[in-house]
Amino acid sequence: MSAALVNTDSKLVEPYFPLQAEIVDVRRFTELETFYRIRLPGGQELGHQPGQFVMVSLLGVGEAPISISSSPTQRGTFDLCVRRVGMLTEVLAGYRPGMKVGIRGPLGKGFDVEAFRGKDILIIGGGIGIVPLRSLINYVIDRRPDFGRLIILYGARSPRELLYPEERRLWEEHPEIEYHVTVDRGDEGWTGKTGVITTLIPLLELEQARTMACIVGPPVMYKFVLMALKARRFPEESIYVSLERRMKCGVGKCGHCQINDLYCCCDGPVFCYPEVVGRKEAF
Amino acid sequence: MARSKIAKEQVSALLAHLGTSGTVIAPHAKGQKSFTFQEMSDPTRVVLDYPRTLVPPKKYFLPPKETLLTFDLTANDYARPDLVATPRIFVGLHSYDMQGLLRLDHAFSRGVPEANYLKRRENCRFVGVSYQPDEYHFASSVGIPVHATEGFDLYLSEVEGGYLLEVLTEAGAQLVTGFDQLEPLAEAELPAEPKSPGRLRIHYHRLPDLFARAYESAVWAEVSRRCTGCGSCNLVCPTCYCFDVRDDVAVDAKGGERVRLWDACMAEPFAEVAGGENFRHHLSSRQRHRLYRKFKYQSVGTEILYCIGCGRCSSQCTAGIVLTEIVNAIYEEQYGGDALRRVAYPSSEVSP
Repeated sequence: MSAALVNTDSKLVEPYFPLQAEIVDVRRFTELETFYRIRLPGGQELGHQPGQFVMVSLLGVGEAPISISSSPTQRGTFDLCVRRVGMLTEVLAGYRPGMKVGIRGPLGKGFDVEAFRGKDILIIGGGIGIVPLRSLINYVIDRRPDFGRLIILYGARSPRELLYPEERRLWEEHPEIEYHVTVDRGDEGWTGKTGVITTLIPLLELEQARTMACIVGPPVMYKFVLMALKARRFPEESIYVSLERRMKCGVGKCGHCQINDLYCCCDGPVFCYPEVVGRKEAF
Repeated sequence: MARSKIAKEQVSALLAHLGTSGTVIAPHAKGQKSFTFQEMSDPTRVVLDYPRTLVPPKKYFLPPKETLLTFDLTANDYARPDLVATPRIFVGLHSYDMQGLLRLDHAFSRGVPEANYLKRRENCRFVGVSYQPDEYHFASSVGIPVHATEGFDLYLSEVEGGYLLEVLTEAGAQLVTGFDQLEPLAEAELPAEPKSPGRLRIHYHRLPDLFARAYESAVWAEVSRRCTGCGSCNLVCPTCYCFDVRDDVAVDAKGGERVRLWDACMAEPFAEVAGGENFRHHLSSRQRHRLYRKFKYQSVGTEILYCIGCGRCSSQCTAGIVLTEIVNAIYEEQYGGDALRRVAYPSSEVSP
C-alpha cells in the first residue's frame, strides 16, 4: 500500500450539507405520485446531466435519493416526481408551494448525451421509470437538431397510473416524436394498447447500428426488455439502464447502494449495459 | 533514521514525555480480558503488551455516532458542526491497525475527498509497537508483517529488557526531542520478525484471483448455517466504514440532529430498496458481500486487500466463525481438501 493512493492534494469536500431550496409548484399526478418544481437559492442552476439525481432532505425526517426529471435546458428551476413509498416521500406528499426542502447534488452519473449525439434515441420507460427518462426526453426535444429519431415507449399498469398528462399529449402530437404507450390493464375510457411494454418492441422499425436504447423501470421489466432487445440483435453497448438503490450518502462512502463492486450512486445510477452485465446484484 | 534503546522501566517516562506534545491515545486494559484505546491520563496504566483492542482506532476518525447537521424545526434552519483537526498522538498501535487506517484514508479520499474523516486525520502522530501474534492474528498472511512501519512516526520493537525505538519521521524526532532516557545505538539490528503461523493456505497476492472464482461457492451457504447476522464482525473491523444516516428529533420536537452511525452489511435491511426488495436477502449473500469487500471489490484497480489480518471478526464472532477458515475452505474447494465442513460446524464438532 503506497501513500500515493491517498490524494492529499485535492480539496476536502463537505458533502453532507444541503442547500435550502423552495418548492414553486406542486401537481398531484396520481394517488401515489406528485410532481414538484423546485428553485435553488437565487435561482442558481442545478447544473445537472439528464439521468442524475439529488438527495432530498427534510429536517427531522431524513434524506432520500430522487431522480431529476427535468432537462438541464430548463432554466431557473428543476423538477422531481416522487412516489409515496416510505417515510420521507410520505411527508413530502404533504408539501405545498412555498415550502422549503434541502437539496444535495446533482449526484451520480447520468446519460452520456455526448455519445448520443446524432443517434436515434429509443426511450423505454415502465411505471415511474419515465421520471428520470423525462429529463432525457426533454433534453432531446430542446436540442432536436443534435439527435436523430426520438422514439418513446411508455408502459404503466393502468391508465390512471400514467404520469405527465400534458406532456403525453405533446409527445403524441409532436411530428418528430414516435410515441407508443401501453397499459397492462385498460379501463372503460382506454382506447390505446394493452399489454406489457415488451409487446411494443417487436413492432418497431429500428436501425440498431444508430440507436441508443435507454431503459428505466421496475426490476422485473429489465429482464424482459433486455431479452426483447437481444432478440432484435440490439448491441449491448448501445443499451443504457438506470438502477435504483437506497442511499445514505450519495458520494460513494456509505455502502448501501453497492451493486457488487459498483456504487450505484457514483458509478451510476445510469449504466451502459456492459458495465453491469454479469453482476448478479444488478437486476 | 536514528535507533536507540529504552529500558522497560523508562517506558512510562517516555509516554509522559509524549504527553507534553499533545493528547495521547493508547491501549488500556478494560475488564478481565479486553483492551481499548483511550486517552492517557496516567502513563503507568498504558498497556503496550496486548493482543488486540476490541474496537480498532477507526473510532477516533469515523466515530460510532457523528453529528452531520443540527437543526431547528421551529425556524426551519440548520447548521453543520465545525470540523476541527485535533492534534493527537496515538501510541501502541500494531502494524495492522496502522494499515487499517491507511485503508480508511484510501476509502475516504478517493472520489469525493470527505472532509469529515480527513480533517480528523490531520495533525495526528503514530507510535507503533510490536506484538506476538496469537491464535487469531494473520496479518502476515495478508502481507502485513509485525514490523511494517509505514504510517508510523516512531516504532517500538520489544527486545530483552525493553524496547528498541526507531525514529521514522521528522515529526517522530520532534516527539522524542528532550527525552534523555534513550541509549543511542549506532548499528542496532532490528529484532527478528516474530513468528506468525501461516494461517491462509494461499499467498495473499492470489486472493483477488481466488475470489474471482468464488462467487458461486458452496462455502457461503455453509458459513451462513452458523451466522446469525448480528454484525459484530462489521463493527470491530478496522476497514468496515459503511454507515447509516438518521435524523434524531429531540423530545421537545423543536430541533434535533442528523447523525451518521456505523452500519453493518451483515444486518438484513442493509441492501433493502424502496418497495421492500432486498438484493442481499439471504445471510449467505451478506457473508459473501462482507468478504468480497475485504478481498476483491475494494481491491479493483488498487491491488490492496482491505482485510488486514487483525483477527477481530473471528475473535468476536458470536457464532465462532473464523475468517481464515472461510478463505481456506474456498481455497480447498478450488484446489482440493475438506475444509468445507469446518466452516459449517465449530471445530470441536467435526468428527475425525
